[in-house]
Amino acid sequence: MTPPNGKPGASVDIAERAPAAVALWVSILRIIGAVAIPIVAFFALWATFDFLRNANANRAVIVLVAVVVGVGGIFFLFWAMNAAVNALPARFREGVRPYVFVGPCLVILAVFLIYPVINTIIISFKDATSSKVVGLDNFKFVFTDGEMLTAIRNTAAWIVLVPLVATSIGLVFATLADRLRRGEAVAKSLIFLPMAISFAGAAVVWNFIYSYRPAGFGSNIGLLNGIMIGLGQNPVPWLDQQPWNNLLLMVIMVWMQTGFAMVVLSAAIKAVPVELIEAARIDGASEFQVFRRIVVPVILPTIVVVATYMVINAMKVFDIVFVMGNAEGRGTEVIAERMISWFFVRGDNGKGAAIAVVLFLAIIPVMIWNIRRFREQETIR
Amino acid sequence: MRRAKVLVLPAVVVLLAVACTKSNNNSSGGNNGGQSGNIGRVSVLNAMEPSEAQALQAVVDADINKNANYVATLEANADFETQVKIRVEGGNPPDVAFYPQPGSVIEQAKAGNAVALEDMGFTASELEKTYGSYLMGLVEYNGKHYGIPTNVNLKSMIWYPKDDFDKAGYKIPQTWDQLLALSAQIQKDGGTPWCVGFESGGATGWPATDWMEDIMLDTAGTSTYDKWVSHQIPFNDPSVVHAGQLMGQIMFHAGWVLGGAAQTPAIAFGDAPLPMFKEPPGCWLHRQANFINAFFPSDAVAGKDYDFFPFPKIDQQNTLIGGEYGVVFRNAPEVADFVRKFAGAKVQCDQGSNVASSRISPNADVQPSCYANKILGEASTVTTKALQAGTARFDASDAMPSAVGSGTFWSGMVKYMQDGPSSLNSVLSDIENSWPAS
Repeated sequence: MTPPNGKPGASVDIAERAPAAVALWVSILRIIGAVAIPIVAFFALWATFDFLRNANANRAVIVLVAVVVGVGGIFFLFWAMNAAVNALPARFREGVRPYVFVGPCLVILAVFLIYPVINTIIISFKDATSSKVVGLDNFKFVFTDGEMLTAIRNTAAWIVLVPLVATSIGLVFATLADRLRRGEAVAKSLIFLPMAISFAGAAVVWNFIYSYRPAGFGSNIGLLNGIMIGLGQNPVPWLDQQPWNNLLLMVIMVWMQTGFAMVVLSAAIKAVPVELIEAARIDGASEFQVFRRIVVPVILPTIVVVATYMVINAMKVFDIVFVMGNAEGRGTEVIAERMISWFFVRGDNGKGAAIAVVLFLAIIPVMIWNIRRFREQETIR
Repeated sequence: MRRAKVLVLPAVVVLLAVACTKSNNNSSGGNNGGQSGNIGRVSVLNAMEPSEAQALQAVVDADINKNANYVATLEANADFETQVKIRVEGGNPPDVAFYPQPGSVIEQAKAGNAVALEDMGFTASELEKTYGSYLMGLVEYNGKHYGIPTNVNLKSMIWYPKDDFDKAGYKIPQTWDQLLALSAQIQKDGGTPWCVGFESGGATGWPATDWMEDIMLDTAGTSTYDKWVSHQIPFNDPSVVHAGQLMGQIMFHAGWVLGGAAQTPAIAFGDAPLPMFKEPPGCWLHRQANFINAFFPSDAVAGKDYDFFPFPKIDQQNTLIGGEYGVVFRNAPEVADFVRKFAGAKVQCDQGSNVASSRISPNADVQPSCYANKILGEASTVTTKALQAGTARFDASDAMPSAVGSGTFWSGMVKYMQDGPSSLNSVLSDIENSWPAS
């Protein structure tokens, strides 16, 4: 590879041209540069953290230190490292500089992402207290345990239904809102509003909507049962209707994510060239045909991105199911919820980690596919 | 440019040096490495209701903090089990944690996280004299004790609406058969005998395990019960099946449980007793531990609107209890001082002066007269007597491995309630199969 005289290949350029000793020095300096910032940052933050935990110190001083170190610390480190590179002899400089900036990210990524992944995989082959290797037992459990099988079935339903429904409704809203003469912003804001609530918060809100009390335990305060009683029907224990209660939980996520789909798709729709639509109209296409044959194909890449984002979200869903409680009794288990339940509530590291590994492996294909699509689009542009 | 070069390297070096020395200074906070110095505060993580913790904090402030060179703070967390695990394993444990499960205390002792009471100046004989050998035996590991009892609950209690109950001419049942006869009588008189609710968020099902344990204890006896807890007999042993069947006699009897057995996992355990306080009572009997009175209507009067009788004798009469152990994670003089005072007679007696409190002291020196709530005083008498007679047993689900005791036992009982009597055998063998190996 012989790069042109542009900037991207500069480092390779120097390393290749330099004699062996210089190349060695450059490599060493690169490693030092990459590792130095995380290490310095780690100790600086540790010292700060110790200081912040010291309750005897003056409150104002604590706040000041937190702000200064938090905001200015990393900035200063990068500035200092950059200046340190400048202090090097000229032939080393440009070979080392990129590593000073990219290296720390890679090191931090390795410590906080790659190391935990590897450790989780190791734990998944061990027993409840991670003291003894048990081979594939935990994975056998994942695919044979009754609750786990329900969880896998439910998660499959989540990743199909939630993206499908949320994206479809979002698309319909985006199309229709686009045609509003006035009030488009208000309509869109209202639908976007639930996005601002956390999953756990939304679950609590919907817990009240679905709330049920049997006769004798006081009046029903749930919205849905209020409507049922108003219509002269008996109240229904909504969250105990298997397997439909799963759909009721999915409604919560659809409610939250539709706004996101709508906003993104709406932007895409507005970017569809007007000439294209006008040409179609002149050729006598009906409004539905315009939508079906022009708008949807043009914004298809965006639809796919929105849908994949939701697939990943649906795979990870935990809060909604956990907050609603009694997942085992209601048959509403999902994979991520089982993971937390086994790891923390039931205290079995091995099984919890095995579930995490399976979930991780299941998400990888979606991620790869997503990245591929992204790359394809980049090349088109 | 030249000036920058000169400045930068020293700056980095100085920063590194400062960082290193700072961190070295503070790395001596080890767990078991002897006593460390007084840092002026004691953090106490616990699973209490926020209101309960607040009331207790007032007692701690008055009895301990006022005359000490440290400040102890009770930190109540509704998600205690998860939080304490995260903090202990993350290397940031509280100074003291109040564990409701002796099983978890032993796990912390095994893992080397907890500090033995003997290492903080307590002696085994003193502990056993004050708290009884049964309670102390549950938290003994390798000859040392790792938890100090700070609270007990009496679980073998059946609550009833006293004034209506007396007016209707019902008699307090002394045996299981009398209890069934009373239930039938109430139904015949047009009432619903039982209020039952097992819903408790992520812990749904635990009140049902208490039912099972109470019946198991009174049919199979203490020694078989102990074997059941330690898995020396399988979970689907005939004695357990028998207990489950007896529970079903009440739960699945048509018209005996308000809303029906299948609804019980949907009824919050705290809401469950409320129909009892209606006129006429929506139900007449409610089996739950002493802390349930915190959920009663605030205008309900003890001894008039409600009272309790002990869970009646079946084949024998034993007493199911629950409780809480203080486990120390930092060996320091102020922590030892706090634990000693908190579990001591003065604080334990003063906490009873709060009518809203539902805590019973495991401390043998605390008299029934300490309790402002008359019912709690009676419950403390029953508990103390049972502890002394050796007929008290700790909640089984809290002593079993958490995969069962906080997992499949809860969910299994929910399934039993939903699927009916025929599911008992499959439910029990599912729980048996879930028992962790080793």
